[in-house]
Amino acid sequence: MKRISLTLVLTLAVIGAGCSSMERSRSLASPSTPAKTLAAQVCSNCHSIDGNSVSPNFPKLAEQQPDYIVAQLKGFRNHRRADPEGFEYMWGISRSLTDDQIKGLAAYFAAQKSVSPGPGDPKLVAEGKNIFDKGLPAKGVPPCSTCHGDHGQGNGEFPRVAYQHSDYVIKQLTVFQRTNERPDGVAMKAITHSLSDQNMAAVAAYLQQMPSK
Amino acid sequence: MNEYRSEQNQQAAMQANASATASGASAPLRSTRRGVIVRAVLAAATLAPLLLALAPREAQALPAFARQTGQNCVACHAGGQFPELTPYGRMFKMTGYTIGQRALPLSMMGVVSASRVSNTSKSDNPPADFQKQGAPIFATGSLFIAGKVTENIGLFSQITYDNYAGQGVAADGVGAGEFKGHTNADNIDLRYADRFIDANRDLIVGVSLNNNPSVSDPWNTAAAWMQYVPVPSPTSSAFVDGNAPYPGFGSGGNVAGVTAYAYLNKTFYAELGGYQTANRGFSILSAGINDAGTTKLKGTNPYWRLAYTREWGPNNIMVGASGMTADIYDDPTDTSDPNTIARTKNLGFDAQYQYLLDPHTVTAQLAYMTNDIHYSNAVANQPSAFASDAAGTMGLANSNSSDTTHTLRAKLTYTYQAKYGGSLGFFNLTGTTNTLNQTSGYDPTTGLITSDPTGALGATALSTRVGGNLSGNPATRGFTYEAFWTPVQYVRVGMQYTSYSKFNGASSNYDGLGRDAKDNNTLFFYVWGAY
Repeated sequence: MKRISLTLVLTLAVIGAGCSSMERSRSLASPSTPAKTLAAQVCSNCHSIDGNSVSPNFPKLAEQQPDYIVAQLKGFRNHRRADPEGFEYMWGISRSLTDDQIKGLAAYFAAQKSVSPGPGDPKLVAEGKNIFDKGLPAKGVPPCSTCHGDHGQGNGEFPRVAYQHSDYVIKQLTVFQRTNERPDGVAMKAITHSLSDQNMAAVAAYLQQMPSK
Repeated sequence: MNEYRSEQNQQAAMQANASATASGASAPLRSTRRGVIVRAVLAAATLAPLLLALAPREAQALPAFARQTGQNCVACHAGGQFPELTPYGRMFKMTGYTIGQRALPLSMMGVVSASRVSNTSKSDNPPADFQKQGAPIFATGSLFIAGKVTENIGLFSQITYDNYAGQGVAADGVGAGEFKGHTNADNIDLRYADRFIDANRDLIVGVSLNNNPSVSDPWNTAAAWMQYVPVPSPTSSAFVDGNAPYPGFGSGGNVAGVTAYAYLNKTFYAELGGYQTANRGFSILSAGINDAGTTKLKGTNPYWRLAYTREWGPNNIMVGASGMTADIYDDPTDTSDPNTIARTKNLGFDAQYQYLLDPHTVTAQLAYMTNDIHYSNAVANQPSAFASDAAGTMGLANSNSSDTTHTLRAKLTYTYQAKYGGSLGFFNLTGTTNTLNQTSGYDPTTGLITSDPTGALGATALSTRVGGNLSGNPATRGFTYEAFWTPVQYVRVGMQYTSYSKFNGASSNYDGLGRDAKDNNTLFFYVWGAY
């Protein structure tokens, strides 16, 4: 009897396999997997289903500029973007995505509502706001708001930075400043050239909690 | 492998040792063929990091799952440390190994190791007791067949070759005392999974057919995975060693089970299943293990697991509990007598904390397990053949009808850049004293310490100094310190030092012949590689 029940469970499992639905597929190689399915079944593992990732290892994608997401996914797919955390996870994820799927993913995450990961040290935040709004003229650093918008909302391929994880922002500023692993962001190499670690931490703290629009 | 089965293994190993020695083998015999293999593997192990360092950093050419997902090992393994999983690695496992695209589902893994035990002089026969002392050995190699099968079905299966699976005796033609390799089914987990997720709910459900209770578990503090926190016992020199205390389930591996699990909102995990003997239709789950070595269970034996998890910022925790009841036949070759069934009950608590923020990885693990064993009528309440003192007094108690052990393992690990790491581990096994556990004692006739009170092995039977247990208590306790280096993501080089403050029930003279726990302190070096 017990052996029968064990066999029964197995049989049901095999039957269930035959009923698997593309609506819940985790296949990254099929052009027919809808972007929304990929977002829910695969991307959500790190970026959360609403694009508000929990871990600062992974960028928040909610309300992100769709053009920026498209550029990054294509950058991962063609291996132009090669910062370690990027290629370790994203080269594989993106390798077989179609342009349409990429567009769909960008639209999906752009439509999510971004929420702040939490407040930072008030002193750092004040210092960061100053850099974001006014830049550091003495160091030749322009205001971040020039490209990323007054509210950090981004513009086209200039990413939204508001409510981004501060640890992620620091990591990317460091990548721009010290490496050539993100060639599409070469403009940021010159801009970050003179930033100190303290400057980066301040800007990042501000972005994580800045009033969003 | 739990204490009960460990004990059996230990005894079997010691019997093999004793019979090898009794039959006249005084030194290890090493075949030329194996020598060549060892040298070749060593050369490969030395060259591999150099060659691989020159290879491009793409992950596509790497083990099966990396090929399937196109991702780097660190995506799923915390700090690159095999087999510890990241939150993403756990999701990959729970969703049935189905993320990605089908790829060549084959990988290989090998471990080369060398160890040095602190004191080899307190042994009647050091060459026999410490055959692997100081010498580099090709310890084990595994073949993995693993990957996505359908949209909902995935497989993780490991077939392992143990180069030191057994020792020959004079009669079998291999050479008395010489180690013999053996291949058998190791961890197998075939699963079906589905995930129902929307903005308000995230439910993963699945069914696993597996051969080892908790091998299906996504957390590495589960018994089947905690064993990969290595503590080599003095004579094994192996990365994974069933004789080292770890919190295992009574049934051990090589059984057949089906478990169903659910993970709700990345918060609550529950798994329930049953295990039977891996024979007939399920014999593939114990393939390569002979009838006498296959655990024989009576009926279906229940297993359960509950866990609570939480993730905040770069931190995640898991607090969980698990348990199993198993009815195990004393003699796997004879399941006809209901008086030869032991019943084991396990209750475990485990917890894990991870901090993952590049370049830092911190993991704290805690696993605790109680094992209650009620011996079969055939084993319980048996007189001891050992005398209670040197005068030959037969005053030892009969064996217990039941025993309880408590195993605690704790480990703290730090990894920098997924390349350089160190860990501190603690293990503590305590339990009831039982004359059945004694493998060393006073000979009733001579009053000398022996492993063979009945004289069955002949008058010259030697003591079992390294594995001997005079007290009948299993207590073993110590620390393991480790430093490791991962030059490329699929090669790890590690150095460990394990210090014992208790061994087989005592700090000093645990075997009755003057061997102390600290004499077993071991320096262990390993090179682990996968492709």
